[in-house]
Amino acid sequence: MSEDMEKGWDISQAMIESNRCLLCYDPPCSKGCPAGTEPAIFIRKLRMKNITGAIRAIKERNILGGVCGAICPTSLLCEKECVAANFDRPIRIGKIQRALVEHSWKIGFYPLSKYYENKKDNLGKKDKIKVAIVGGGPAGISCAYELAKFGISVTIFEEHEKIGGALRYLIPSHRLSNDFIERETSELASMGIEIKCSKKIKRDDLKSLFEKGYVAVFLAPGLWKGVRLENRAVKGVYSAHDFLYSLKEKPQKMKKIVYGKKVGVIGGGAVALDCAEACLIHGAKDVYLIYRRSFGQMLSEENERICALRKGVHFLMLNQPTGYLLDENGKLAKIKLCRTELGKEDKSGRRAPVEVKGSDWELEVDLAIEAIGSQVDDDVKEIHPDIKFEKNLIVVNKRKETSANSIFAGGDITRGPGLVAEAIRDGKEAARNILEEIKKSECEEKVVLASVSPRRC
Amino acid sequence: MADLSIDFCGVKFKNPFMLSSSPVSNTAEMVGRAFDAGWGGVAFKTISCGKTKIIHPSPRMHGYHYGEKRLIGLQNVEQISDRSLEDNLLDIKYLKKKWPEHVVMASIMGFSGKEWGDLARACTEAGADLLELNFSCPHMTVEGAGAKVGQANELVQKFTEIVKDSTYIPVIAKMTPNITDMTVPALYAKKGGADGIAAINSVKGIVEIGIDDWTPRPNVGGLGTSSGYTGPAVKPIGLRFVSDLARCKELNLPISGIGGIETWIDALEYILVGASTVQVTTGIIHYGYGLVEDLAEGLSDYMDQRGISKVSELVGKALARLREPDSFDLSRQGIAKYDMERCIGCGQCYVVCRDAGGQALEWDEKKRMPVQIEEKCLSCMICSFVCPIEGMITYKEMPKNWKRKDAPSLGRKLKK
Repeated sequence: MSEDMEKGWDISQAMIESNRCLLCYDPPCSKGCPAGTEPAIFIRKLRMKNITGAIRAIKERNILGGVCGAICPTSLLCEKECVAANFDRPIRIGKIQRALVEHSWKIGFYPLSKYYENKKDNLGKKDKIKVAIVGGGPAGISCAYELAKFGISVTIFEEHEKIGGALRYLIPSHRLSNDFIERETSELASMGIEIKCSKKIKRDDLKSLFEKGYVAVFLAPGLWKGVRLENRAVKGVYSAHDFLYSLKEKPQKMKKIVYGKKVGVIGGGAVALDCAEACLIHGAKDVYLIYRRSFGQMLSEENERICALRKGVHFLMLNQPTGYLLDENGKLAKIKLCRTELGKEDKSGRRAPVEVKGSDWELEVDLAIEAIGSQVDDDVKEIHPDIKFEKNLIVVNKRKETSANSIFAGGDITRGPGLVAEAIRDGKEAARNILEEIKKSECEEKVVLASVSPRRC
Repeated sequence: MADLSIDFCGVKFKNPFMLSSSPVSNTAEMVGRAFDAGWGGVAFKTISCGKTKIIHPSPRMHGYHYGEKRLIGLQNVEQISDRSLEDNLLDIKYLKKKWPEHVVMASIMGFSGKEWGDLARACTEAGADLLELNFSCPHMTVEGAGAKVGQANELVQKFTEIVKDSTYIPVIAKMTPNITDMTVPALYAKKGGADGIAAINSVKGIVEIGIDDWTPRPNVGGLGTSSGYTGPAVKPIGLRFVSDLARCKELNLPISGIGGIETWIDALEYILVGASTVQVTTGIIHYGYGLVEDLAEGLSDYMDQRGISKVSELVGKALARLREPDSFDLSRQGIAKYDMERCIGCGQCYVVCRDAGGQALEWDEKKRMPVQIEEKCLSCMICSFVCPIEGMITYKEMPKNWKRKDAPSLGRKLKK
């Protein structure tokens, strides 16, 4: 197993696959993409050998089209809707999408830079209208891009050293490399988007942004704290967030910690699978994926689960962790477990796990990683007095407006942990509404916002 | 297994499948392996006297791909054999000695009347069963040869006469399709004494223009040309010419059919329009000699299933139903019939019917299915060509009193 990102298809493979597409009327796959990437369009373009047009179609609709192609759970989204599945297998849309974006890097075709050139020509009032984006993850990047398209002067404030958010810091390299993210976002600067890294926006900063002339703010700080099983800190127990973050930032240190160890990963989602696979890649002796429900109830893609099984992850289904046992040094020694069985349906529509009395047992491990959810950082909760939170998430309306004036929000902070494609959609929708608001106020001042009117945005 | 043997110009073939004169029949070593694989005969790569040096351009071929399908066509600028006359004659001798049951047809090309005669005598002496006169190579680097001869009727007749005077074995004239009416030169060949006709040689074409270097392919040192185009894409053209020859009562000669044959069905189609042997090159360039196994087995099973005992019973069987369009009974009209239970809802039929047909389909958005308005259906059948479900859309003849609705004229509204 390699820690390098798995290779994508080359353009000729993508071309062959595009020939399987039925070129549906009113294409269902396009409706299946939360990010609005509209796969039917770029696949048709590829089929007609319009490779540059296909790349443009992706990037204009989805600034992170390559990332989505690489990590989106496509079998649950666009590919789930594919009509070809009715008599064969679905078109491998994600593979095609990634191949096209990677091909654009290979041939040096950057379709988005033109917006900046147009902006310079058309918008005499450059830098007049400023919007601030807090958080350089997928939602923030997407919002910034959609605004820049229309000549808005955008600044992204990112707490970390680099932009990318969870993509960069919480997805292990074997799924998505830093290099990939950097290439994918390389056009942001050429569109005139200002990126200020290592800049954490605190409570007072948000107010001063408006004083500095920003007319709107889009908040997308994400959820960076793991939900924990126990309140106490135990040596040898990590949250998935801490584990994945350290793995990306201090890989040598983390590799040493994992190598040759027995690891229990708690959780059944995509993040749990990422942690489990990363441990195997870095030489863990045994990796147990501990999940209180059944295999079929896991929310991750089926083929990803099967892949993890094949790679050697031990799936320990229908087991509820109930606590940790420590050794004399206070270090993790065992995970306490209790077998479960499936009872009645719960709110999620799945049969709920019920603990089986007297079935307690203990699993000897060196490390435990908890991948059971994300929550908001405490200081984010205090970012602005007017912003309403509910269940620790920012409340937004359909227009992605928070309860504070001219402050919009999107991404995980408004919804809980979600898909990259959903974050991208949030960014897009917020941008659309920010633009509307700007146009309204500009009209009042009889200043018309000079749109560079992209052909197909 | 059915008896696939057939008589062609008095020569007995084990089966009708031959290698055509081309790169696939270049040496005895190659042809020997083809015979072992099951091919019934060979048109051995065209031989010249060797007085004019033959050099093949490099590179000599270029493929034509469509979508994911490789090599639906092939363009080549390979010349006739560049080997010495002696080597070629020895190879023919060797083949006849080692595979006496297999047919060797020597393909020849002279660059003067005398050369045609010399070649005919030499090949006859070497033991060839038949001679094929190459009047049709469309890309000879030698001035006035190949298809240039095939397009000059008097030369066809003259050279055929010379060859006939120099041999006692049957003589087949191989024709170029790069003319309007092939029966004209074929009749001249017959006048010259030809015993049979082989058709078609390659169609002149250009498979690709390089869009970066503006150079047609194959790119021969910075230059391209239009030259011999072959493969599955030319089959319709081949079937047309072969059927023209077969329907020409005045000609009435055995025909060796050539052009885009890959499968037993392709071969059978040529036989049904009048060929009694068939020749293959591009199919072998794509798949190798092993192809013949499926040609033979497929044709044999077809014959067994239909109780046909000899291939000759099939020769020309479709000709009676091949007519000019003015013979059609236009009172018989029909529509495309949809088996909706099999529909998967892609909607391609809807798109093409609206933009290229009779606007005879409506789209049920909820069910994702086409809804047909029968009286608007033109029976063009394009919907069935784009439908991914084979056989879901078929032709259905309508009763005599059925009437198609005319397409409305928007201009009439203006009049009002």
